Amino acid sequence: MDWVTLIPLLPALAFVVLAPLSRAARAKLVPLAVAAVLGSLGLSIAAFLAVWPGGHGEVWQASVTIAHIGDRAITLGLALEPMSAIMLTVVTVVGACVQVYSLGYMHREDRIGWYYAVLSLFTAAMLALVLSDNFLGLFMAWEVMGLCSYLLIGFWHEQEAPRLASIKAFLTTKVGDLGFMLALAVVYAEAGAFDFATVLHHDWTAGTATLVALLMLFAAMGKSAQFPLHVWLPDAMAGPTPASALIHAATMVAAGVFLVVRAFPIFEASGIALTITLWVGLITALLAGLLAMVQHDIKKVLAYSTISQLGFMFIALGAGSSTAALYHLVTHAYFKSLLFLGAGVIIHAAHTQDMRQMGGLAKKLPVTSLAFASGSLALAGIVPFSGFWSKDEILAVLLHEHQYVAFAIALLAAFVTAFYVARLWFRVFTAPTQQEDLHEGHRSMLVPMVVLAVITAVIGFFGPTLGDFLGHEIPWPALGTAAISTVAALGGITLGWYVYGRRTSVVNTQALKQRFPHAYGVLANKYYFDLTYGYFVVGGYTTLARALATFDARVVDGVVNGVAAAWRSLSAAGWTFDGRIVDGAVNGAASAVRAAGDKVRTLQTGSVRSYQTLIAGAVVLLVVWILVKGA
Amino acid sequence: MDFPLLTVIVFLPLLGAAVVALLGNARAVAGRVVAATVAVVDLALVAWLASRFDVDGGMQFVEKLTWVPQVGITYHLAIDGMSLAMVALSALLTVLAIVASWKTEKNPALWFSMLLLLEVGMNGVFVAMDFVLFYVFWELVLVPMYFLIATWGGPRRQYAAVKFFLYTLFGSVFMLVGIIALYLQTGTFNILEMAGAGLDPKFQWWVFAAFFLGFAVKVPVFPLHTWLPDAHVEAPTAASVLLAGVLLKMGSYGFLRISLPILPDAAAEWSTFIAALAAISIVYGAAVAFAQTDMKKLVAYSSVSHMGFVMLGIASMTPEGLNGAVAVMFSHGVVTGMLFFLVGMVYDRTHTRMIAEVSGLSSQVPVAGGLLAFASFASLGLPGLSGFVGEFLSLVGAWASDIPVGWVVLSAIGVLLAAAYMLWLVQRVVLGSPSAAVSGIADLSAREVAVLLPLVALTLIVGLYWDSLLRFTDPAVRSILAMMGGA
Repeated sequence: MDWVTLIPLLPALAFVVLAPLSRAARAKLVPLAVAAVLGSLGLSIAAFLAVWPGGHGEVWQASVTIAHIGDRAITLGLALEPMSAIMLTVVTVVGACVQVYSLGYMHREDRIGWYYAVLSLFTAAMLALVLSDNFLGLFMAWEVMGLCSYLLIGFWHEQEAPRLASIKAFLTTKVGDLGFMLALAVVYAEAGAFDFATVLHHDWTAGTATLVALLMLFAAMGKSAQFPLHVWLPDAMAGPTPASALIHAATMVAAGVFLVVRAFPIFEASGIALTITLWVGLITALLAGLLAMVQHDIKKVLAYSTISQLGFMFIALGAGSSTAALYHLVTHAYFKSLLFLGAGVIIHAAHTQDMRQMGGLAKKLPVTSLAFASGSLALAGIVPFSGFWSKDEILAVLLHEHQYVAFAIALLAAFVTAFYVARLWFRVFTAPTQQEDLHEGHRSMLVPMVVLAVITAVIGFFGPTLGDFLGHEIPWPALGTAAISTVAALGGITLGWYVYGRRTSVVNTQALKQRFPHAYGVLANKYYFDLTYGYFVVGGYTTLARALATFDARVVDGVVNGVAAAWRSLSAAGWTFDGRIVDGAVNGAASAVRAAGDKVRTLQTGSVRSYQTLIAGAVVLLVVWILVKGA
Repeated sequence: MDFPLLTVIVFLPLLGAAVVALLGNARAVAGRVVAATVAVVDLALVAWLASRFDVDGGMQFVEKLTWVPQVGITYHLAIDGMSLAMVALSALLTVLAIVASWKTEKNPALWFSMLLLLEVGMNGVFVAMDFVLFYVFWELVLVPMYFLIATWGGPRRQYAAVKFFLYTLFGSVFMLVGIIALYLQTGTFNILEMAGAGLDPKFQWWVFAAFFLGFAVKVPVFPLHTWLPDAHVEAPTAASVLLAGVLLKMGSYGFLRISLPILPDAAAEWSTFIAALAAISIVYGAAVAFAQTDMKKLVAYSSVSHMGFVMLGIASMTPEGLNGAVAVMFSHGVVTGMLFFLVGMVYDRTHTRMIAEVSGLSSQVPVAGGLLAFASFASLGLPGLSGFVGEFLSLVGAWASDIPVGWVVLSAIGVLLAAAYMLWLVQRVVLGSPSAAVSGIADLSAREVAVLLPLVALTLIVGLYWDSLLRFTDPAVRSILAMMGGA
């Protein structure tokens, strides 16, 4: 079964082949990258079938020792077990869809080869991440994904916005990654290894478990864009849309959730860490959902929606169900990548990302609108589309755990979700047409969307099967929860229709803004996070750095120059260097040795004080001697 | 007696330097061929030694001859895995420095002979196991570096060269005092024999202080670092590469070879202080680097920050920390070498090092821009590249040690700050549209790519397979720790 190694290796090789080539040569080899990810897809399905019917531990494992330190060995390894098998299929299906789609979407870019190279490296890293059998390997893949994310966000780096967005994304997630690094240090100090088996079976005390769990949670909050580290994801939309679909919707941003799932026993050993996770999720799910309501850029709506949905996964984790989190991760990966790919077609057709300038796309883009409908209904949580089932499972877990306040907030977030989905839908697809020249996407773009749309429509029926596969129960939704959540979803859609959908009397949103200026201001300014970070963190650090640079030049170096000047005037001669000083020092050493040799007797006294006197005396002698010679 | 391989490795460049100097500027073309040949042969000898090196064999290839019997000074060379890593770095970077400065027109005979003379000192420092010999090599390094800066440097080269010389000399005076004190106490100049001598802790403290000044200036540790940016900015490219790549490591090597094994009690007492200075160096260096407007100065301050991780690893006195320290020493030599080479290559074309005047390299010169971005990511510690290995191990070791958590966390923040100044550089210089200074310039030549490729390869190899380096350093580290425990 060592062929499992090929799953991440194929796209990695595609990167290795493409990266060093010239722009033109890379562009010619784009099919190689697509072939590599399709190969990984085939192997992932084979790997999935090898695990089938699942329900128990790993079926294959391989590792390599990369370092020996003292009496410990640091290994990196891959393991195939139910969870990694599911993630492999998700990553390769979405990855393959995105790569095929990009053939059409990116075909006019002259740097398409570089785009595919980075996409391949990203896919390799994500596949390595889900297969990794230890935290160090997971972290390394995690960081490589961050690099790819940076490179793709800044793909159009000649423009200012993508440049700034890319550095913002890298540094914001890096803030979280500090938590990961420190968590690894604690894990190593405590358990003496990084592999899941050793670390998770370690006898964690509540205190240390809490420390590790919170550090990892912090890392996950960065990668999965949870409040207050969410600020990078909306800006990341400056990258090419298919890359957003893969990285900033389906896979990389879910890596934070995946990390917590992997480390879940440590979170359980802590307890308090779970509660904090729950509240991070609740706050994020609701606040990001509210922001999605006021965006005009279609990609920004989807970006805040992603943040909010990732929040739902954190809610599931915090409520103690890693299975529900993973379930939502899977369904979300499919329907959100679908929505992003749909948005790509829409943006190409409408030549704008601003929904206010769109309308009537349903008639002009029939395939896209059908596929988009599948994704929208899933996101809104309408039965039988996938999001309904996984969101319901999260709500059910909250009820089961008697987390009623959390349940209410999550339900509100679900309502908000349905509202912004309806707002988007009615504005883009059914509002009056504002443009005439609208074209459906190329077939290479539509086929992947249809694939994802079908998956989104049917995958929910396999929930219990998925649960069996993972070895945890995923029940069919209880009628009561399902009814409540459906009412919330339909309520949100209805309100959305009422405000944005009716032809006759569209609600004057301008009037609403004027009526609630403060609330609107808070939302329009994204709760002032960006302003605060920009002013205090970035601005503060820049000011501090400049001050320190001045301090360094004037004070630290000033002292040095001052001493030198004093020395110069003492010796009453300029330091015109001619090599004598070197000789002086060496001779000085020799004569000092000789002089000291005579003094050996004195040292037999053994008193510390005399040694100190000797050292001080020697220093004085040498300094004086060099002064004399130097002058 | 066996073939004196270490002696040849150390002194072959001296022979080369003499030949190059004798050929003179009139036959400079022949001279640089001789220089390159000698440096390549030297590197090949190091590789040959490495292939015959027994990683678990401790000190090897020992050569010991009586030198000044009256006071027990010996000609004593030996090599362990840590020294081997440093000698390999020195031999490799010398070859690359010679190739990179192939077209030097100003007094080429002196230039190439000075580079070779520098290699004598650098190689010697890392294999000398007699204190007097060590000191001779230590000071020998100053002379060619002084001339390299003072003769081929920028507008303020005289100031920078003298400052470099005097500052490090100031440090080494204290080191000399320490050496003398140790000799008077133990009656030997043998570095290896002194380890575990069980010296009086009070005495150790004072000697440690003396060595600390000598080594800390060289590393450099905040606040003794201000000679470094001046030296780098004024130094010609090849000298910057060797200064950052090898000379700084002499300081941290001194801590590892001398201070820790010989003065273990003092080292334990000093560890928190060193860790604090290390953490401050890391954050302070990173912040000041962030504010720089000159590319070379930015890289210079980044060295202060990176060398802080070396000191943090040393202060931890754990296997992870010490391996991390040596790994950072090696990786910093490779990666910063790459950065200085690239900044130099960009300067050769644009005639400016000001960040504000250079932009859009990746559009105009994709090879140079791509490699600069690669080196930047290696420098900021991206996992899978060499920079990560040492910084990560230093942090892991520091966490496991008695170092107060605050200093460890502060150091970890340095990783974020490194990403900030490196990416901010990439942002302005590599990305965007070509600026006036950049438009029209040519991409790297085959010779320049050949200089960088070995460094790229090493960055990847060490980053992906840590044992390629650690298999040499770990036994050396374990023996250092054993000596400390035995005291």
